[in-house]
Amino acid sequence: MNENIIGINSSKGNKIRKLLKGELGLILILVVMLLVFSFLSPYFFTSRNLLNITRQVSITLIVAIGMTFIILTGEIDLSVGSVAALVGVATAFTLKQTGSIFVAILVGICFGAVLGLINGVITVYGKVQSFIVTLAMLGIARGIALVWTNGKPISQLPANFSAMGAGYIGPVPISTIIAACVFIAAYFYLNKTKHGVYIKSIGANREAAKLSAIPVNKYRLLVFIIIGCLAALGGIVTTSRLLSAQPTASEGLEMSVIAAVILGGASLSGGVGTVLGTLLGAMLIGVIDNGMNLIGVSSFFQQIVKGVIILVAVLAKREN
Amino acid sequence: MKEVLVLEKISKSFGGIHALEDVDFSLLEGEVHALLGENGAGKSTLIKILTGVHQKDSGKIKLFGKDVKILNPVDARYKGIAAIYQELSLIEDLSVAENIFLGNEPTKDILGTVNRKELFDLASQKLKKFNIDINPSIKISELGMGQKRIIEIIKALAIDAKILLLDEPTTGMSKVEIETLFKIMKDLKKHNVTMIYISHHLEEVFSVCDRATVLRDGKNVKTFEVENLAIPDLVQAMIGRNLNDEFPKRRGKPGDGIIFSIKNFKSFNMKHEIDLDLKKGEILGISGIIGSGKSELALGLFGVDKKEKGKIYIENKEVNIKNPGDAKKEKIAFIPEDRKTQGLFLNQNLLLNLTVANMELVLNNGVINSRKRKELSTITAEKLKVKPLDLKMQAQNLSGGNQQKIVVGKWLCGVPKIIIFDEPTRGIDVGAKTEIYNLINELADKGTGIIIISSEFKEISGVCDRILVFRNGKVAKEMSAEEATTENILTVALGG
Repeated sequence: MNENIIGINSSKGNKIRKLLKGELGLILILVVMLLVFSFLSPYFFTSRNLLNITRQVSITLIVAIGMTFIILTGEIDLSVGSVAALVGVATAFTLKQTGSIFVAILVGICFGAVLGLINGVITVYGKVQSFIVTLAMLGIARGIALVWTNGKPISQLPANFSAMGAGYIGPVPISTIIAACVFIAAYFYLNKTKHGVYIKSIGANREAAKLSAIPVNKYRLLVFIIIGCLAALGGIVTTSRLLSAQPTASEGLEMSVIAAVILGGASLSGGVGTVLGTLLGAMLIGVIDNGMNLIGVSSFFQQIVKGVIILVAVLAKREN
Repeated sequence: MKEVLVLEKISKSFGGIHALEDVDFSLLEGEVHALLGENGAGKSTLIKILTGVHQKDSGKIKLFGKDVKILNPVDARYKGIAAIYQELSLIEDLSVAENIFLGNEPTKDILGTVNRKELFDLASQKLKKFNIDINPSIKISELGMGQKRIIEIIKALAIDAKILLLDEPTTGMSKVEIETLFKIMKDLKKHNVTMIYISHHLEEVFSVCDRATVLRDGKNVKTFEVENLAIPDLVQAMIGRNLNDEFPKRRGKPGDGIIFSIKNFKSFNMKHEIDLDLKKGEILGISGIIGSGKSELALGLFGVDKKEKGKIYIENKEVNIKNPGDAKKEKIAFIPEDRKTQGLFLNQNLLLNLTVANMELVLNNGVINSRKRKELSTITAEKLKVKPLDLKMQAQNLSGGNQQKIVVGKWLCGVPKIIIFDEPTRGIDVGAKTEIYNLINELADKGTGIIIISSEFKEISGVCDRILVFRNGKVAKEMSAEEATTENILTVALGG
């Protein structure tokens, strides 16, 4: 995990500074935030609220893990929020038609995979910047969701569908467990399989990756499909939580997701980033949101505070 | 001649490591003074102190007889010190004249409107003064590398530079362009411009420099008068030991079996069909000037450029290479010419760089075995004498020579049968060059077929068993090692 953090300088001060710029620094900021909010609100540091935070960040985290992959290869996906909404609609529609939760989820995930595939094919083989391609998809997918539903939510879904988004196993939210599973799988994939090494290499230097006999385009396409599936999963959990598919759901999701990944230390130019960093980035955003709600900061003000914290964190971590 | 610049006992350290220790250096008016040393000897640090990028820890800088402090690059420029780096700072879409006076244009009124007529007149005057035959109104993008560098120099002089720092000025230039540059440098000397010359090409030092100062491990070794000097003296001073031969002797000989051959081979990027045979343990050199089609052949053989026609045989068996992955399966390795853009993952650690092309070797049922991965990288890095051997270090923090070793190492752990080196020693220092040559010899002795593509004729004639000289995309001549003197190769390459 620490591969990218520890650099050349062997002197002690430098090593500590480098570590602070990595995940350790994020953990420190997170701890400080936890302390501050615990001090400000008696309800904050309770196991119930802390689990609640994990539930609140679960969707951002699921999609942010997909975004970490995309950003590692040096690309970006702006369409995740729209894809999540469209998949939510598709899932709810299928659920109403078939009555089978399993089939509905399967259809939803396939929908996401296909949308990701389309983004990927146009980016990789059409040689268009992913920023442009996914910006277009952001409009297209949202538009299809609105046309499909005529702008109205698909509601009155079977009650047992709400387990994914709103259910608990013991005290632990099921959506937290889903996010944790995605995190563990992604961690393993990125650090323990050759795919992870290739994804990083492609982002670090695409030309060198090609000349190192890596099938570059195949892997670039693959990450688009992965993020499509994870955006779909995010959309399904959202639909399950609301027990209703809103064509306008997840608007702006891409921003909080990208913020989490960048806070986590990833570089938009590719090759640098970890899923652990993304987890911490998403948690940090979640803690700030939750804490400010508890102490009653107005939601208008919250946006400013969040923006400032992201700027400060990124400034503190930048290379000299 | 008077001294325009004197450095006395300059020291600089980074985090406890001495980059420079009590270095003295002096510059006489109108001389070209070479600054030499291996990578890491302290040349760059000294240059950075002179241009105000770094501040010295101790010592004195005397400029035109006065003690000065150089605060930053702008200050250095203001004091008359201009650096011409390998990367040019010209704007491609503007004309020569506009570039020369960029930010310093003659104006005709209080609004600062540029007086274009005066701009072009002044530029022609400047160019004429140094006998440079370039039209000031054409765009920079239409110029060759050599002409661009000359314009860069004129641009510096236009803002009254007294001391020019030329960092590897001949990079990417043809022989003719180099000759022109040297002629212009001699003209500049007559106009009392003083130059510091940094280059890996020692022959250049002899054609154009008056004195040479050698640094080693951050200390002065000696300042030589170039006149009564020979290359071995400089090399010995640079590496601190006697380098009997820049090119180590071959011990082995090529075997009998043909390991690799191509018949009527042509990729879409090549002009003509090529045939060649490579024996087991043979070092085959491919030379020619830039644009002769030698790199295109390598890209075709490795499956990067699509094949149009012809056949490839490995150990007399026909193989089909459609992409680099196929080439790798057939145990072909390719070391590309530009290690930074094509070879290395600069912001990744050595572990990744060394194993990325051979992940199969470190997998257990599809899962990376970290211990195996570390072992394989360590063994490879040790074999190549990579310094420092720190697998967690990022590739960008290594010296050029060590970076090149990493690019080679990336393939070596897969034990290739055929290795294609494109410009194997470009921009690395003498010591590292010899290490690469030793490695190539050792690989050939073990039966690996080696193809070296190089535009350094001396290297080709010093290292290879057999040489093909390319011209206009075709093999112009095949030579034995004995025939292939630098002069003979050059004659054929240029069309003699």
